[in-house]
Amino acid sequence: MTDWNCASTEERLSDYLDGILSPAEAAEFSAHAGGCDPCGKLVAQVGGLVHQMRALDALEVPPQLISKILDSTVGPRPQSVGWRRWFAWIPQLWQPRFAMGVATVAATLLIVLYTTGMSPAKLKKADLSPANVFRTANRQVHLTYARSAKFVNDLRVVYEIQTRLQPDAEPSPSTTPQPAPQQNSQPPAVNPQEKSQTSPHPGHSQARNGTMLASLLRTDWAANFAAIMLADTTRSPR
Amino acid sequence: MEPDAQLVQGCLRGEGPAWEELVRRHTRRVFNLCYRFTGNSTEAEDLSQEVFLRIYRTLASYRPAFGAFPTWLTSVTRNLLVDHYRRTRRDRLTDSIEDAMPKLENKHSAARTPDKLALASELSGQLQHGLSRLSPELREAVILRDLQGLDYSEIQTVLEVPEGTVKSRINRGRIELARILEEMGLRPQN
Repeated sequence: MTDWNCASTEERLSDYLDGILSPAEAAEFSAHAGGCDPCGKLVAQVGGLVHQMRALDALEVPPQLISKILDSTVGPRPQSVGWRRWFAWIPQLWQPRFAMGVATVAATLLIVLYTTGMSPAKLKKADLSPANVFRTANRQVHLTYARSAKFVNDLRVVYEIQTRLQPDAEPSPSTTPQPAPQQNSQPPAVNPQEKSQTSPHPGHSQARNGTMLASLLRTDWAANFAAIMLADTTRSPR
Repeated sequence: MEPDAQLVQGCLRGEGPAWEELVRRHTRRVFNLCYRFTGNSTEAEDLSQEVFLRIYRTLASYRPAFGAFPTWLTSVTRNLLVDHYRRTRRDRLTDSIEDAMPKLENKHSAARTPDKLALASELSGQLQHGLSRLSPELREAVILRDLQGLDYSEIQTVLEVPEGTVKSRINRGRIELARILEEMGLRPQN
Protein backbone atom coordinates (compact mmCIF):
# COMPACT_ATOMS: atom_id res chain seq x y z
CA MET A 1 0.00 0.00 0.00
CA THR A 2 1.79 3.09 -1.23
CA ASP A 3 -0.99 5.67 -1.52
CA TRP A 4 -1.15 6.44 2.24
CA ASN A 5 -1.80 10.16 2.43
CA CYS A 6 -2.88 12.87 4.89
CA ALA A 7 -6.57 12.00 4.40
CA SER A 8 -6.02 8.37 5.30
CA THR A 9 -3.96 9.39 8.33
CA GLU A 10 -6.79 11.55 9.59
CA GLU A 11 -9.38 8.90 8.77
CA ARG A 12 -7.52 6.09 10.57
CA LEU A 13 -6.16 8.21 13.41
CA SER A 14 -8.46 6.74 16.08
CA ASP A 15 -7.83 3.20 14.86
CA TYR A 16 -4.14 3.89 15.26
CA LEU A 17 -4.58 5.39 18.75
CA ASP A 18 -6.87 2.54 19.83
CA GLY A 19 -4.37 0.02 18.47
CA ILE A 20 -6.71 -1.70 16.02
CA LEU A 21 -4.65 -1.13 12.88
CA SER A 22 -2.98 -4.14 11.33
CA PRO A 23 0.83 -4.16 11.73
CA ALA A 24 1.25 -3.25 8.05
CA GLU A 25 -1.19 -0.34 8.33
CA ALA A 26 0.40 0.84 11.55
CA ALA A 27 3.80 0.88 9.88
CA GLU A 28 2.51 2.94 6.96
CA PHE A 29 0.70 5.27 9.35
CA SER A 30 3.85 5.86 11.38
CA ALA A 31 5.94 6.34 8.28
CA HIS A 32 3.60 9.01 6.94
CA ALA A 33 3.09 10.80 10.25
CA GLY A 34 6.83 10.83 10.81
CA GLY A 35 7.48 12.54 7.51
CA CYS A 36 4.49 14.88 7.29
CA ASP A 37 4.57 17.83 9.72
CA PRO A 38 0.80 18.63 9.83
CA CYS A 39 -0.03 14.91 10.26
CA GLY A 40 2.63 14.46 12.94
CA LYS A 41 1.26 17.45 14.81
CA LEU A 42 -2.32 16.17 14.50
CA VAL A 43 -1.36 12.72 15.81
CA ALA A 44 0.46 14.28 18.79
CA GLN A 45 -2.44 16.61 19.56
CA VAL A 46 -5.22 14.06 19.36
CA GLY A 47 -3.10 11.40 21.06
CA GLY A 48 -2.40 13.81 23.92
CA LEU A 49 -6.07 14.72 24.21
CA VAL A 50 -7.19 11.09 24.33
CA HIS A 51 -4.53 10.32 26.92
CA GLN A 52 -5.63 13.24 29.09
CA MET A 53 -9.31 12.39 28.82
CA ARG A 54 -8.67 8.78 29.83
CA ALA A 55 -6.62 9.93 32.81
CA LEU A 56 -9.31 12.33 33.98
CA ASP A 57 -11.07 11.28 37.17
CA ALA A 58 -14.83 11.05 37.04
CA LEU A 59 -16.58 13.95 38.75
CA GLU A 60 -17.86 13.40 42.26
CA VAL A 61 -21.58 12.97 42.64
CA PRO A 62 -23.13 16.09 44.22
CA PRO A 63 -24.22 15.50 47.82
CA GLN A 64 -27.90 14.67 48.19
CA LEU A 65 -28.22 13.46 44.60
CA ILE A 66 -28.49 9.82 45.66
CA SER A 67 -31.04 10.74 48.33
CA LYS A 68 -33.02 12.77 45.79
CA ILE A 69 -33.02 9.84 43.38
CA LEU A 70 -34.15 7.43 46.08
CA ASP A 71 -36.80 9.86 47.26
CA SER A 72 -38.15 10.33 43.75
CA THR A 73 -38.28 6.59 43.10
CA VAL A 74 -39.12 4.71 46.29
CA GLY A 75 -40.31 7.78 48.22
CA PRO A 76 -38.97 9.13 51.52
CA ARG A 77 -37.34 6.35 53.47
CA PRO A 78 -38.09 6.02 57.17
CA GLN A 79 -34.63 4.77 58.03
CA SER A 80 -31.14 4.84 56.65
CA VAL A 81 -28.95 1.79 56.27
CA GLY A 82 -25.92 0.57 58.18
CA TRP A 83 -24.40 2.17 61.23
CA ARG A 84 -26.24 5.45 60.59
CA ARG A 85 -29.44 3.75 61.67
CA TRP A 86 -28.10 3.53 65.23
CA PHE A 87 -27.48 7.26 65.39
CA ALA A 88 -30.54 8.37 63.46
CA TRP A 89 -32.25 9.48 66.68
CA ILE A 90 -29.60 12.11 67.50
CA PRO A 91 -30.85 14.82 65.12
CA GLN A 92 -34.30 14.38 66.66
CA LEU A 93 -32.93 15.72 69.97
CA TRP A 94 -32.40 19.13 68.40
CA GLN A 95 -36.04 19.45 67.46
CA PRO A 96 -37.67 22.28 69.50
CA ARG A 97 -40.64 20.09 70.41
CA PHE A 98 -38.46 17.44 72.00
CA ALA A 99 -36.27 20.01 73.76
CA MET A 100 -39.38 21.66 75.25
CA GLY A 101 -40.58 18.29 76.47
CA VAL A 102 -37.24 17.56 78.12
CA ALA A 103 -37.20 21.00 79.77
CA THR A 104 -40.73 20.48 81.13
CA VAL A 105 -39.91 17.05 82.53
CA ALA A 106 -36.69 18.40 84.10
CA ALA A 107 -38.55 21.30 85.71
CA THR A 108 -41.22 18.96 87.07
CA LEU A 109 -38.60 16.61 88.51
CA LEU A 110 -36.80 19.52 90.16
CA ILE A 111 -40.04 20.80 91.73
CA VAL A 112 -40.90 17.32 92.98
CA LEU A 113 -37.39 16.85 94.37
CA TYR A 114 -37.44 20.16 96.23
CA THR A 115 -40.94 19.74 97.61
CA THR A 116 -40.08 16.29 98.94
CA GLY A 117 -36.98 17.76 100.52
CA MET A 118 -34.39 16.08 98.34
CA SER A 119 -31.73 18.38 97.03
CA PRO A 120 -29.55 17.19 94.14
CA ALA A 121 -26.76 19.44 95.45
CA LYS A 122 -26.68 17.62 98.79
CA LEU A 123 -26.92 14.22 97.18
CA LYS A 124 -24.15 11.87 98.20
CA LYS A 125 -23.02 8.65 96.65
CA ALA A 126 -24.34 6.70 99.63
CA ASP A 127 -27.82 8.15 99.05
CA LEU A 128 -28.02 6.36 95.77
CA SER A 129 -27.79 2.86 97.29
CA PRO A 130 -31.13 1.02 96.98
CA ALA A 131 -31.57 0.78 100.76
CA ASN A 132 -31.11 4.51 101.23
CA VAL A 133 -33.35 5.36 98.32
CA PHE A 134 -36.03 3.17 99.81
CA ARG A 135 -35.56 4.65 103.28
CA THR A 136 -35.74 8.21 101.99
CA ALA A 137 -38.80 7.47 99.90
CA ASN A 138 -40.44 5.70 102.86
CA ARG A 139 -39.68 8.62 105.17
CA GLN A 140 -41.06 11.12 102.67
CA VAL A 141 -44.23 9.13 102.23
CA HIS A 142 -44.76 8.96 105.99
CA LEU A 143 -43.98 12.62 106.45
CA THR A 144 -46.39 13.59 103.72
CA TYR A 145 -49.05 11.35 105.22
CA ALA A 146 -48.50 12.82 108.70
CA ARG A 147 -48.71 16.35 107.36
CA SER A 148 -51.93 15.72 105.53
CA ALA A 149 -53.38 13.93 108.58
CA LYS A 150 -52.51 16.93 110.73
CA PHE A 151 -54.06 19.27 108.20
CA VAL A 152 -57.31 17.31 108.23
CA ASN A 153 -57.32 17.21 112.05
CA ASP A 154 -56.76 20.94 112.28
CA LEU A 155 -59.50 21.51 109.80
CA ARG A 156 -61.84 19.40 111.90
CA VAL A 157 -61.03 21.40 115.03
CA VAL A 158 -61.70 24.66 113.23
CA TYR A 159 -65.03 23.41 111.96
CA GLU A 160 -65.90 22.24 115.44
CA ILE A 161 -65.21 25.71 116.82
CA GLN A 162 -67.15 27.24 113.99
CA THR A 163 -70.21 25.07 114.64
CA ARG A 164 -70.08 25.79 118.42
CA LEU A 165 -69.85 29.50 117.81
CA GLN A 166 -72.56 29.67 115.22
CA PRO A 167 -75.79 28.99 117.27
CA ASP A 168 -75.34 32.08 119.51
CA ALA A 169 -73.81 35.28 118.25
CA GLU A 170 -72.21 36.01 121.64
CA PRO A 171 -69.48 33.48 122.27
CA SER A 172 -68.86 32.27 125.78
CA PRO A 173 -65.73 33.69 127.42
CA SER A 174 -64.45 30.21 128.02
CA THR A 175 -63.95 29.66 124.36
CA THR A 176 -60.42 30.61 123.64
CA PRO A 177 -59.42 31.94 120.28
CA GLN A 178 -56.90 29.20 119.93
CA PRO A 179 -58.08 26.20 117.89
CA ALA A 180 -56.28 23.79 120.19
CA PRO A 181 -56.29 25.40 123.61
CA GLN A 182 -55.78 22.29 125.69
CA GLN A 183 -52.40 21.62 124.13
CA ASN A 184 -51.26 25.20 124.43
CA SER A 185 -49.58 26.24 127.66
CA GLN A 186 -48.81 29.74 126.41
CA PRO A 187 -51.24 32.62 126.76
CA PRO A 188 -53.61 33.04 123.85
CA ALA A 189 -51.94 34.55 120.88
CA VAL A 190 -53.11 38.01 120.05
CA ASN A 191 -52.36 39.91 116.99
CA PRO A 192 -50.15 43.03 117.19
CA GLN A 193 -53.11 45.37 116.86
CA GLU A 194 -54.73 43.85 119.90
CA LYS A 195 -51.50 44.07 121.80
CA SER A 196 -51.05 47.75 121.14
CA GLN A 197 -54.42 48.71 122.61
CA THR A 198 -54.14 46.59 125.73
CA SER A 199 -57.47 46.63 127.44
CA PRO A 200 -57.82 47.02 131.24
CA HIS A 201 -60.55 44.33 131.05
CA PRO A 202 -58.99 41.09 130.00
CA GLY A 203 -62.34 39.26 129.92
CA HIS A 204 -63.82 41.79 127.59
CA SER A 205 -60.81 41.59 125.38
CA GLN A 206 -61.10 37.81 125.18
CA ALA A 207 -64.74 38.05 124.25
CA ARG A 208 -63.92 40.54 121.50
CA ASN A 209 -61.15 38.31 120.33
CA GLY A 210 -63.52 35.37 120.09
CA THR A 211 -66.09 37.37 118.17
CA MET A 212 -63.50 38.51 115.77
CA LEU A 213 -62.26 35.00 115.25
CA ALA A 214 -65.82 33.71 114.80
CA SER A 215 -66.58 36.35 112.21
CA LEU A 216 -63.30 35.57 110.62
CA LEU A 217 -64.07 31.88 110.59
CA ARG A 218 -67.52 32.44 109.24
CA THR A 219 -66.30 34.32 106.21
CA ASP A 220 -64.84 31.62 104.03
CA TRP A 221 -62.64 28.63 103.71
CA ALA A 222 -59.53 30.73 103.22
CA ALA A 223 -60.07 32.10 106.67
CA ASN A 224 -60.22 28.59 108.06
CA PHE A 225 -56.99 27.83 106.43
CA ALA A 226 -55.43 31.00 107.86
CA ALA A 227 -56.57 30.00 111.30
CA ILE A 228 -54.99 26.59 110.95
CA MET A 229 -51.77 28.13 109.85
CA LEU A 230 -51.87 30.48 112.81
CA ALA A 231 -52.45 27.58 115.17
CA ASP A 232 -49.76 25.59 113.54
CA THR A 233 -47.11 28.28 113.91
CA THR A 234 -47.96 29.18 117.48
CA ARG A 235 -48.34 25.67 118.79
CA SER A 236 -45.20 23.77 118.06
CA PRO A 237 -42.03 24.88 116.41
CA ARG A 238 -40.76 22.02 114.30
CA MET B 1 -24.50 -14.12 37.95
CA GLU B 2 -23.08 -10.58 37.90
CA PRO B 3 -23.63 -8.35 40.94
CA ASP B 4 -25.72 -5.94 38.86
CA ALA B 5 -27.92 -8.74 37.57
CA GLN B 6 -28.39 -9.99 41.15
CA LEU B 7 -29.34 -6.51 42.30
CA VAL B 8 -31.82 -6.18 39.44
CA GLN B 9 -33.37 -9.50 40.45
CA GLY B 10 -33.56 -8.23 44.03
CA CYS B 11 -35.28 -5.03 42.87
CA LEU B 12 -37.81 -7.03 40.88
CA ARG B 13 -38.57 -9.03 44.03
CA GLY B 14 -39.30 -5.69 45.72
CA GLU B 15 -36.16 -5.49 47.86
CA GLY B 16 -35.56 -1.85 48.77
CA PRO B 17 -31.87 -2.24 49.72
CA ALA B 18 -31.14 -3.81 46.31
CA TRP B 19 -32.47 -0.73 44.53
CA GLU B 20 -30.56 1.56 46.85
CA GLU B 21 -27.36 -0.34 46.15
CA LEU B 22 -27.99 -0.23 42.41
CA VAL B 23 -28.48 3.55 42.58
CA ARG B 24 -25.33 4.00 44.67
CA ARG B 25 -23.25 1.94 42.26
CA HIS B 26 -24.28 3.78 39.13
CA THR B 27 -25.17 7.36 40.04
CA ARG B 28 -21.63 8.55 39.39
CA ARG B 29 -21.55 7.12 35.89
CA VAL B 30 -24.95 8.58 34.99
CA PHE B 31 -24.20 11.98 36.52
CA ASN B 32 -20.85 12.22 34.72
CA LEU B 33 -22.40 11.35 31.38
CA CYS B 34 -25.14 13.94 31.90
CA TYR B 35 -22.71 16.59 33.09
CA ARG B 36 -20.25 16.07 30.25
CA PHE B 37 -23.06 16.22 27.72
CA THR B 38 -24.93 19.24 29.09
CA GLY B 39 -22.05 21.08 30.78
CA ASN B 40 -24.42 22.14 33.54
CA SER B 41 -24.43 20.62 37.01
CA THR B 42 -28.06 21.43 37.84
CA GLU B 43 -29.31 20.06 34.55
CA ALA B 44 -27.14 16.99 35.03
CA GLU B 45 -28.64 16.38 38.47
CA ASP B 46 -32.19 16.74 37.18
CA LEU B 47 -31.45 14.45 34.26
CA SER B 48 -29.82 11.86 36.52
CA GLN B 49 -32.96 11.79 38.62
CA GLU B 50 -35.04 11.41 35.49
CA VAL B 51 -32.83 8.55 34.30
CA PHE B 52 -33.23 6.58 37.52
CA LEU B 53 -36.94 7.25 37.59
CA ARG B 54 -37.22 5.76 34.11
CA ILE B 55 -34.98 2.83 35.09
CA TYR B 56 -37.12 2.21 38.15
CA ARG B 57 -40.27 2.10 36.05
CA THR B 58 -38.87 -0.03 33.25
CA LEU B 59 -36.60 -2.35 35.25
CA ALA B 60 -38.90 -5.28 34.60
CA SER B 61 -38.20 -4.96 30.87
CA TYR B 62 -34.45 -5.40 31.35
CA ARG B 63 -33.01 -8.78 30.34
CA PRO B 64 -29.34 -9.67 30.86
CA ALA B 65 -29.43 -11.05 27.32
CA PHE B 66 -29.75 -7.46 26.00
CA GLY B 67 -26.28 -6.66 27.35
CA ALA B 68 -24.67 -5.68 30.62
CA PHE B 69 -26.71 -3.52 32.98
CA PRO B 70 -24.32 -0.51 32.68
CA THR B 71 -24.74 -0.57 28.90
CA TRP B 72 -28.52 -0.60 29.25
CA LEU B 73 -28.30 2.21 31.81
CA THR B 74 -26.09 4.20 29.44
CA SER B 75 -28.58 3.68 26.60
CA VAL B 76 -31.44 4.99 28.74
CA THR B 77 -29.31 7.96 29.81
CA ARG B 78 -28.24 8.72 26.27
CA ASN B 79 -31.82 8.58 24.98
CA LEU B 80 -32.93 10.98 27.68
CA LEU B 81 -30.01 13.29 26.86
CA VAL B 82 -30.99 13.32 23.20
CA ASP B 83 -34.62 14.06 24.15
CA HIS B 84 -33.41 16.82 26.43
CA TYR B 85 -31.16 18.21 23.73
CA ARG B 86 -34.03 18.36 21.25
CA ARG B 87 -36.36 19.86 23.84
CA THR B 88 -33.97 22.64 24.70
CA ARG B 89 -32.60 23.28 21.22
CA ARG B 90 -34.65 26.44 20.72
CA ASP B 91 -33.49 27.94 24.02
CA ARG B 92 -29.92 27.03 23.27
CA LEU B 93 -29.91 28.65 19.82
CA THR B 94 -30.84 32.03 21.26
CA ASP B 95 -28.42 31.52 24.14
CA SER B 96 -25.51 30.64 21.88
CA ILE B 97 -25.92 33.85 19.87
CA GLU B 98 -25.92 35.87 23.08
CA ASP B 99 -22.97 33.89 24.40
CA ALA B 100 -20.92 34.43 21.24
CA MET B 101 -20.69 38.18 21.76
CA PRO B 102 -19.24 38.34 25.27
CA LYS B 103 -16.98 35.40 24.43
CA LEU B 104 -15.02 37.55 21.98
CA GLU B 105 -14.73 40.33 24.54
CA ASN B 106 -13.89 37.93 27.32
CA LYS B 107 -10.63 36.92 25.75
CA HIS B 108 -8.87 39.99 27.10
CA SER B 109 -11.36 40.99 29.73
CA ALA B 110 -10.33 41.06 33.37
CA ALA B 111 -13.95 40.87 34.42
CA ARG B 112 -14.11 37.07 34.49
CA THR B 113 -15.42 35.67 37.71
CA PRO B 114 -12.98 33.77 39.94
CA ASP B 115 -15.30 30.78 39.71
CA LYS B 116 -15.01 30.68 35.95
CA LEU B 117 -11.27 31.22 36.13
CA ALA B 118 -10.91 28.31 38.54
CA LEU B 119 -12.98 26.14 36.27
CA ALA B 120 -11.02 27.19 33.20
CA SER B 121 -7.75 26.50 34.98
CA GLU B 122 -8.65 22.86 35.28
CA LEU B 123 -8.32 20.52 32.37
CA SER B 124 -11.77 19.27 33.20
CA GLY B 125 -13.21 22.72 32.72
CA GLN B 126 -11.30 23.33 29.49
CA LEU B 127 -12.45 20.05 28.17
CA GLN B 128 -16.01 20.90 29.07
CA HIS B 129 -15.77 24.12 27.07
CA GLY B 130 -14.46 22.19 24.10
CA LEU B 131 -17.11 19.48 24.37
CA SER B 132 -19.91 22.01 24.46
CA ARG B 133 -18.79 23.29 21.07
CA LEU B 134 -18.91 19.83 19.45
CA SER B 135 -22.05 18.68 17.66
CA PRO B 136 -24.15 16.36 19.87
CA GLU B 137 -23.42 13.28 17.72
CA LEU B 138 -19.66 13.72 17.96
CA ARG B 139 -19.87 14.85 21.58
CA GLU B 140 -21.73 11.76 22.79
CA ALA B 141 -19.39 9.45 20.87
CA VAL B 142 -16.26 11.03 22.41
CA ILE B 143 -17.77 11.08 25.91
CA LEU B 144 -18.80 7.43 25.73
CA ARG B 145 -15.45 6.31 24.37
CA ASP B 146 -12.88 8.44 26.18
CA LEU B 147 -14.62 9.62 29.36
CA GLN B 148 -16.90 6.68 30.07
CA GLY B 149 -14.49 4.08 28.69
CA LEU B 150 -17.03 2.08 26.68
CA ASP B 151 -15.72 -0.13 23.88
CA TYR B 152 -16.89 0.12 20.28
CA SER B 153 -19.48 -2.63 20.48
CA GLU B 154 -21.04 -1.13 23.63
CA ILE B 155 -21.20 2.29 21.99
CA GLN B 156 -22.76 0.66 18.97
CA THR B 157 -25.45 -0.81 21.23
CA VAL B 158 -26.04 2.50 22.99
CA LEU B 159 -26.16 4.66 19.87
CA GLU B 160 -27.90 2.04 17.74
CA VAL B 161 -25.74 2.83 14.71
CA PRO B 162 -23.36 0.60 12.69
CA GLU B 163 -19.82 0.08 13.90
CA GLY B 164 -18.39 2.09 11.00
CA THR B 165 -20.45 5.11 12.02
CA VAL B 166 -19.32 4.75 15.64
CA LYS B 167 -15.67 4.67 14.61
CA SER B 168 -16.07 7.58 12.25
CA ARG B 169 -17.86 9.72 14.87
CA ILE B 170 -15.29 8.99 17.54
CA ASN B 171 -12.47 9.85 15.15
CA ARG B 172 -14.04 13.07 13.90
CA GLY B 173 -15.04 14.04 17.40
CA ARG B 174 -11.52 13.65 18.76
CA ILE B 175 -9.92 15.58 15.89
CA GLU B 176 -12.44 18.39 16.11
CA LEU B 177 -12.14 18.62 19.89
CA ALA B 178 -8.35 18.85 19.61
CA ARG B 179 -8.75 21.69 17.08
CA ILE B 180 -11.26 23.51 19.29
CA LEU B 181 -8.93 23.25 22.28
CA GLU B 182 -6.08 24.54 20.15
CA GLU B 183 -8.24 27.48 19.07
CA MET B 184 -8.90 28.15 22.74
CA GLY B 185 -5.15 28.32 23.21
CA LEU B 186 -4.81 24.98 24.92
CA ARG B 187 -2.41 22.37 23.77
CA PRO B 188 -2.94 18.91 25.18
CA GLN B 189 0.25 17.25 26.34
CA ASN B 190 1.16 13.64 26.37
